[in-house]
Amino acid sequence: MTPWVHIPQLLAAGITMGAIYALVALGFVIIVRASQIINFAQGEFVMLGGVVTFFFIKGAGLPYPLAALAAVLVVICIGLLLHLLVIYPLRKASVLILIMATVGASIVLSNTSALLFGTLPKALPPFSGDLPLEIGDIRIAPQGLWVFGATFFLFFVLYLLSHRTLLGKAMEASSTDPLGADLTGIARNFMVFLAFGVSAGVGAIAGVLVTPLFYTSYNAGTLLGFKGFIAAVVGGWGKNSGAILGGFVLGIVESTSIAFIPAGYKDAVAFVVLLLILYFRPKGILGSPYIDSRRW
Amino acid sequence: MSLLSIDTISKNYDGVRALNQVSLRVREGTIKGLIGPNGAGKTTLFHLITGVEQPTAGTISFQGRDITTLEPHEIALLGVGRTFQTLQVMGTMTVVENILTGMHSRLKGGFLSCGLWLPWIHKGERTALQEAKETLEFLGLLGRWKWNASHLSFAQQKMLELGRALAMRPKLLLLDEPAAGLTPAEVTRLAEKICRLREQGITILIVEHHMGMIMDIADEVAALHNGELITEGPPDAVRNDPRVIEAYLRGRDA
Amino acid sequence: MVKEYNKGSKIEYRKRDILYTAGLWLVSLILPDPHLPYRREFIKKRDFFYLGALLLLPLILSDRLVYLMVLAGIYAIVALGLSLFLGYAGQISLGHAAFFGIGAYTTAILTTRYGVPPLGAFGASALAAAVCAYLIGKPILKLKGYFLALATLGFGEIFLVMVRETRSLTGGVSGIFGIPWFSVAGFVFDTSLEQYYLVWGVLIALVLFAKNLVRSKMGRALLAVAASEDAAASVGINVAQVKVRVFVLSAAFAGLAGSLFACVLSTANPEGFGLGLSVLIVMMVIMGGMGNLYGPIFAAIFLTWLTDVLGGYQEYSLPIYGVILILLLIFFPDGVGTRLNERLIYLISYWGRKRRRERVDI
Repeated sequence: MTPWVHIPQLLAAGITMGAIYALVALGFVIIVRASQIINFAQGEFVMLGGVVTFFFIKGAGLPYPLAALAAVLVVICIGLLLHLLVIYPLRKASVLILIMATVGASIVLSNTSALLFGTLPKALPPFSGDLPLEIGDIRIAPQGLWVFGATFFLFFVLYLLSHRTLLGKAMEASSTDPLGADLTGIARNFMVFLAFGVSAGVGAIAGVLVTPLFYTSYNAGTLLGFKGFIAAVVGGWGKNSGAILGGFVLGIVESTSIAFIPAGYKDAVAFVVLLLILYFRPKGILGSPYIDSRRW
Repeated sequence: MSLLSIDTISKNYDGVRALNQVSLRVREGTIKGLIGPNGAGKTTLFHLITGVEQPTAGTISFQGRDITTLEPHEIALLGVGRTFQTLQVMGTMTVVENILTGMHSRLKGGFLSCGLWLPWIHKGERTALQEAKETLEFLGLLGRWKWNASHLSFAQQKMLELGRALAMRPKLLLLDEPAAGLTPAEVTRLAEKICRLREQGITILIVEHHMGMIMDIADEVAALHNGELITEGPPDAVRNDPRVIEAYLRGRDA
Repeated sequence: MVKEYNKGSKIEYRKRDILYTAGLWLVSLILPDPHLPYRREFIKKRDFFYLGALLLLPLILSDRLVYLMVLAGIYAIVALGLSLFLGYAGQISLGHAAFFGIGAYTTAILTTRYGVPPLGAFGASALAAAVCAYLIGKPILKLKGYFLALATLGFGEIFLVMVRETRSLTGGVSGIFGIPWFSVAGFVFDTSLEQYYLVWGVLIALVLFAKNLVRSKMGRALLAVAASEDAAASVGINVAQVKVRVFVLSAAFAGLAGSLFACVLSTANPEGFGLGLSVLIVMMVIMGGMGNLYGPIFAAIFLTWLTDVLGGYQEYSLPIYGVILILLLIFFPDGVGTRLNERLIYLISYWGRKRRRERVDI
């Protein structure tokens, strides 16, 4: 039995994972479009979305939809706090310091979550039942379709935000030309503040959607965050469409690779993809407005 | 004998034609000025000569040798020094260390031999320090040799950058707007130093907007406009050339 | 109106200021400040004080603290190497723990499976780490800023995955046990005290090497690459080559440290070689100050002690660690020792200045 037999099922799994990566990647890109900062704590927003929802259901007894909504709001607040306490004080610091600060924030968030909510993995019930849909030979969990749908919906919303509203344009301006944005009266720090809120919200929504598919626990965020970042780089750095595309590409490549290499190496695949992309085409598949090809 | 020859160089940036079949020759031991309104392609030409960019077409030769595709540091090792329009003084180091950095290519030693401080490294450092101090004296910076380079005044930093380029004992020196931001007295001092360099046998190509200085010290001047060479010749001829005047007055569309 | 001043308290303020200044002068003698102009002499009087303190310290410290200092010394070696790459050449690496791990595993495998004497394994570890750094560095170092940081992080993660998966070679998740103590010509370093002198001896030798390097043309080349790659290239510095070589050098340091680590702990397992350690080492370099050699060593001692203290708090340790990290970054972005004098004087004299301000009510 050749590995190729498994491909269709793996593809389906890959597309589902890909949608998740796409959502996480979107979170990164939102912040980058406002400020050129890479938020290493992005994965933690996703993790917290799932964990806090679980807490609201089990601990506070809220019904599922309300718990999810409350969790998203809570995580948005956490994202805004992150900006106020960590990013804003360091607004003039170098790239390195910002990276390290967001790494520090990631450590704080993931371990505080372990402290408050325990280290056991949490699971949430799927939105529309357990039975997988069967299309030919392939089984897809219906939750996967929710994730898929949400990804495109959010992408659409963000597209409207950045292309059709003045706020979106202002956010983009503060990233590509900080001085110009200042001179035109754009409150740059406020733009970044909002970006953190939106990105936390997107991450939390991703977390709520993903947790029924995979368990979430306090340390799931870190790896997911990395893979989301890799997806954003692969697809085209700084572009929402790049984030989506990169997410799917990464998900598919990662899933289908299981057919050919031992399963334990799966996580390394994402990083190998990262290294390959950075070496051969750092701008990403769709190209990037932020990277000057002469210098990279 | 032309030290540097540029043959029908063209450079496109995503459809924008920055340079269009420009040919230039710089004779050894002379000062050549390169003028033109902003956007004419002067800095692009410098980038091409020093290897930071590759031309879309054409060749550049230095001392008869094709340098079109060489890396910037390889071109520097052949004896081409340059200063930068946006001052690239190394603020983390002291003044004398900036000069010593310029002498990098002339000192021996790699990572291991430097770390072990082998005898020839020690000797090399001693003589290098001596020479660096002499260069600083030529530039008028000797009194501040221990200062942190970022604490110098703007004009002094420009001199330091010039000194760093000189420290490699270049045969050809490319100066990118050396007089920008200097007061008239400082410009005169700079011009005098550049002339002394010519006497020492260094060939110099200067991009400059300061007409007074160029016309005073240059042996020959070339004028660029919209990526094309519009004229070349002795300073007086170029200064009075109607096309040059038109380009400066009318700008891009002329 | 001036007569309103209570003459007695005026003299009191002066005495206080003198005391503070004297105290701070003493402190400044001890702690290195990276921003004093052109103090690049090779050996200062302060260095003898450090050396003396190092030699005598184990005699006054408890066994546990000596063990901590051994660990601190090992991490300090990695931090020293990384400070050349990060502090001097200005390039970011979030994967140096991988080189540390490569060194540890090389020693572990060679000594337990092939009976190679520890000294030979020591050298082989540095070599292995250096070779890996060369292979990874050549393509990766073309990148800058965030992307280099992430590529190195990716490499670190790949290393971890490979260690966990190649069970036959590395013992997988449980690791390798029973690594023999470090020994040279029959002398076995099996107590903390002996290991202390071994580790810090190696560190001192490497510090001398690094000091030489930093004062030579290569040190200037590193600073030049950090300050302006274009300018560095314009004077003939092969920027790509310099970056790769300093990367390899810093990896070799990490490999040596890893080898010592394996010999001190007698085990090697993937737990200790992940992103957490890479982040810790980078913090040591940042806290120590960029462009500084001694700073990262002090920071290594401090951070090793800190992680030990925090370990006592169990579940609270990691969140607190993260918070401390962030606070350190906010308040000391260019190193703790930087302008320490001025900062302390400013802080302490605040009280005196406040009182004086209140007094001048005209």
